[in-house]
Amino acid sequence: MSTTPRRLRAAGKWLLSLPAVLFLAGNVNAGEAFPLGTKQDPKDILLELNEKVDSDYLDAPQKILSMPNNPAYWDAEDGKELFNQKRGPKNASLANCDFGQGPGKLKGAYAKMPRYFEDTGRVMNPERRLVYCMKTLQGFSEDSKAVQNRGELKQMLTYIASQSNGYEWAPSMNHPMEKAMRDAGEAMFYRRAGKLDQNCATCHYEPGTNVRASAMPSVKIPEEWTKAVSWPAFRLGKRDIRSPYQRMRGCYYQMRKGLLQPRTDAAVAMQTFWLDAARGQPAILPDLKR
Amino acid sequence: MGYRTVTGTGIALLAAGFLFATGGCAAGESSDMKAGESHMKKDIPRSQYTEMSSEKLAEYLIFNRGFKVDQEIPENQGGGTTADRMKQDRIQEACSQLNGQAPDSSTAQKVQKIAKNSVQYPEGGVELGDWKEGQALAEDAYGWRVAHKVDDHNKRDPGGLCMNCHVFESDKKGRSGSIGVGLVGYGNKRGQGEETLRYTYRQIYNSHTNYPCGHMPRFGAKGLLTQEQIGDLMAYLLDPESPVNQ
Repeated sequence: MSTTPRRLRAAGKWLLSLPAVLFLAGNVNAGEAFPLGTKQDPKDILLELNEKVDSDYLDAPQKILSMPNNPAYWDAEDGKELFNQKRGPKNASLANCDFGQGPGKLKGAYAKMPRYFEDTGRVMNPERRLVYCMKTLQGFSEDSKAVQNRGELKQMLTYIASQSNGYEWAPSMNHPMEKAMRDAGEAMFYRRAGKLDQNCATCHYEPGTNVRASAMPSVKIPEEWTKAVSWPAFRLGKRDIRSPYQRMRGCYYQMRKGLLQPRTDAAVAMQTFWLDAARGQPAILPDLKR
Repeated sequence: MGYRTVTGTGIALLAAGFLFATGGCAAGESSDMKAGESHMKKDIPRSQYTEMSSEKLAEYLIFNRGFKVDQEIPENQGGGTTADRMKQDRIQEACSQLNGQAPDSSTAQKVQKIAKNSVQYPEGGVELGDWKEGQALAEDAYGWRVAHKVDDHNKRDPGGLCMNCHVFESDKKGRSGSIGVGLVGYGNKRGQGEETLRYTYRQIYNSHTNYPCGHMPRFGAKGLLTQEQIGDLMAYLLDPESPVNQ
């Protein structure tokens, strides 16, 4: 697959998303599990989680049976190619980017983030670190086309994430700054504001609640919550991969609050809290969601 | 967002103190805004984050390192900027500190008192409107969104969002939410006495009068629905002809 031209893969991705979408009409195509970064088959992860907890959120059959047809794997392939391509003013690849486990070491790195990085003095999530590496290793500026191309950033993020599939969520809590960000994220989670007085807990606290037809995952049930925080994911409804940031932005939007901006401390704090709440549970990366 | 570096711990601490100690809030929902807080732009070096309480750090990140707080909100959504959406009034602040738990009695009393003071009953008393209008409102979840896709109230009126959280009619259960209590047969159980009318009106206008720190939005107190619309929703709940009571 890695030798397929990217444009062909884009067409293939569109076609591949069809069986997943059409599954509800009973037309499921039993494909093979994708080996890109597999530590454990996402289908098996979900089946095991389902045995541990009684959850409407996990239990929707299309979520499990269409996992092998997850179109996000094609994005991960594209992302891998971009990641390893020599690009930018410095004509360098990102192969030596350090996501916390040492330069070029991606296995399990995504599941151990966000984390504090000495070289920047900041707690960074994978997206922030990725752009940092594009700037330092490749010489791209903030307003360069490469950094502004959110589609490509998401594809690279999907590739990096895929290398942590099946790893337990274990955001680093060794540095005081990591703890401070986690705690601030928790305060944000419970902070009511906006036209509707809502906080994240309005929808994501009591187990087994629905918003309209959608089953909501609860922050109190780690086995359920791990799927909720497993991003990037292919959204069937959007027919595209979506990043962790887009999930947060969407929730704040629906709560009728302001626009959260990517790669900010607020976004990192929230991500630190929500991944800490899934600690010890297997990551599903990339995920497939409705 | 400019990350101006402030050198010197003293200056930074002074800045942090200043951020949370000075008064003044922008217009909009002014009567309920908590006192003694401003959201002026300040730069606090990251090395100071560990010195701050989690609530203060969250507050700082929201207004200075995260949200686009200077986005203008259309007049028909209440005007102002998104900073006004992110600021807390006293009820929001008190209920946020519970971390999902039920309120203690002093918080409950305080919140209930603020809520009761906010309720304005219609002149001439509470009356039921048109249940069909109420049904349409209850099922409509449009409105009040800003950020990256602003709802245009000139093109479409905002709805009541009710079905997001409540079941009103049994045959619509599959597409109704369950964050709030089920309301099938609401009127059959309660009748249409004065007590029921006022209770139901209060619940929609400001639910904290009945359930302090509950999760139902304050549709009257926050200007999400007019008194007439509340009357229509009440008809949907209480009118014997309404499908809620069939």
